[in-house]
Amino acid sequence: MLRATDVTHAYDAEPVLTDVSLVVDPGEVLALIGPSGVGKTTLLRILGLSLEPTAGTVTFDRTDVWAADTARRRALRRRTGTVFQAASLFDASVARNVEYGLRVRRSWRERIRSGLRGLVGREDVSGSVHDALGVVGLPDAASRSADSLSGGEAQRVSFARALAYDPDLLLLDEPTSDLDPRNTAVVEDAVERASDRDIGVVVATHDMNQAERIADRVAVLLGDGVTEVGPTEAVFDDPHDDRTRQFIAGELVY
Amino acid sequence: MSVALEAVGFAPVGLVELPFRDGYVPSIVVVSLYVSLVAVSLSTLVSVPVAVTMGFLEFPGKSLVKSVINTGMGFPSVVVGLVVLFVVSNQGPLGSFELIFTREAMILSQFVLATPPITAISLAAITGVDDGVREAASALGGTRVDVALVVLKEARYGIATAILAGFGRAISEVGSVLIVGGNITSADGISKTRTLTTAIQLEARQGRYETAMILGAVLVVLVLTVNTIVVRLGDGNAPR
Repeated sequence: MLRATDVTHAYDAEPVLTDVSLVVDPGEVLALIGPSGVGKTTLLRILGLSLEPTAGTVTFDRTDVWAADTARRRALRRRTGTVFQAASLFDASVARNVEYGLRVRRSWRERIRSGLRGLVGREDVSGSVHDALGVVGLPDAASRSADSLSGGEAQRVSFARALAYDPDLLLLDEPTSDLDPRNTAVVEDAVERASDRDIGVVVATHDMNQAERIADRVAVLLGDGVTEVGPTEAVFDDPHDDRTRQFIAGELVY
Repeated sequence: MSVALEAVGFAPVGLVELPFRDGYVPSIVVVSLYVSLVAVSLSTLVSVPVAVTMGFLEFPGKSLVKSVINTGMGFPSVVVGLVVLFVVSNQGPLGSFELIFTREAMILSQFVLATPPITAISLAAITGVDDGVREAASALGGTRVDVALVVLKEARYGIATAILAGFGRAISEVGSVLIVGGNITSADGISKTRTLTTAIQLEARQGRYETAMILGAVLVVLVLTVNTIVVRLGDGNAPR
């Protein structure tokens, strides 16, 4: 579905990623592991089609994303969802937050009409909003305001927000790094349910145990490129690359 | 406008002998509110789009525009009045419209005074919106317009504060409205271009302190009321 080939990225001639090649298939969970500052977030933004790499190609369903026109690219980008490390919810109700992705995909006419309905207090919460909230274990939170949520709940709503419009690809940037074990378990469960719905999931994480728990495949990002990609077990139990082995064993210190 | 003025004129309470004729105070209140509200509405229509543009786009000379706006915040109102007076005077570029000593001229000078604070405070509110929110809106599929709308919504309290600040500056302003408006009443004592501030100034100078005090109290109550309404509206927009 998504294929990055020899992707290189530099910020002001400062290289962050060098010749990274990755494939994400529908329904699989790919974990990106590596120490902080190694370019995981940059790679996620490239895979989320919101950042154009300095070199290399990104294709989504065989369309070269950065060779396509803006409208086509936006249509492709709208098939992806991203959950950031910080929840960054909008100052509105949970339902409005989760509905956002659906709302921006509607015509202006429909949006104005539903906005007016909301003004007279007849805001109806659509089924997919309920479903998405159910996946993250907050089925009754729709009418709560975003600022009344705890940090863990906010992160789960942020997850639901990316899930509500049923993307084909979900990118998670350290989604549980600020969460307690219970909220982490909910998010990991939601990742599994997303992949059951045939959504391809990429999780950037520095938590190797988490990668081992949820990922089908693991890509290890060290220094400025991917040192190893493969099935989770193979990478953790029998890494080919020496630096990967050292990193997994905790011997490689950055 | 004069018809409307008489319609609003509530007679002062009969119990107390008031030191001015019926309709005098209400007509002044109406002129004050009319001039300030129209000017602030026009300023808002200009300021908010300018603030949004400056908050979203990088363009050459942006910092210059910013410093012009910031200078405008502290611009002496008397000088603004003077400049507007020249602009609308017979020899000025707008002379043919015969705006001198009219409410429209007062609106023009209030507009010039209220626009910089509204723009500057709105811009601060817009740039203060968390980058994560912009990024989220864009990642969820929002176009640039969608992202701008989200940011505007996040900044709504700041923008409301900006408009209030502009209104506060406009309604409590004396110097420029005195110069371009002339503090005129008609022969029957009904305000034409007399505002609360210019009336207070005149009454106090002529030794009618009670009238000046009453007008001062009305002005304070008016500003408080408008502030309260705007704050309430802001609360009403909060998610239920």
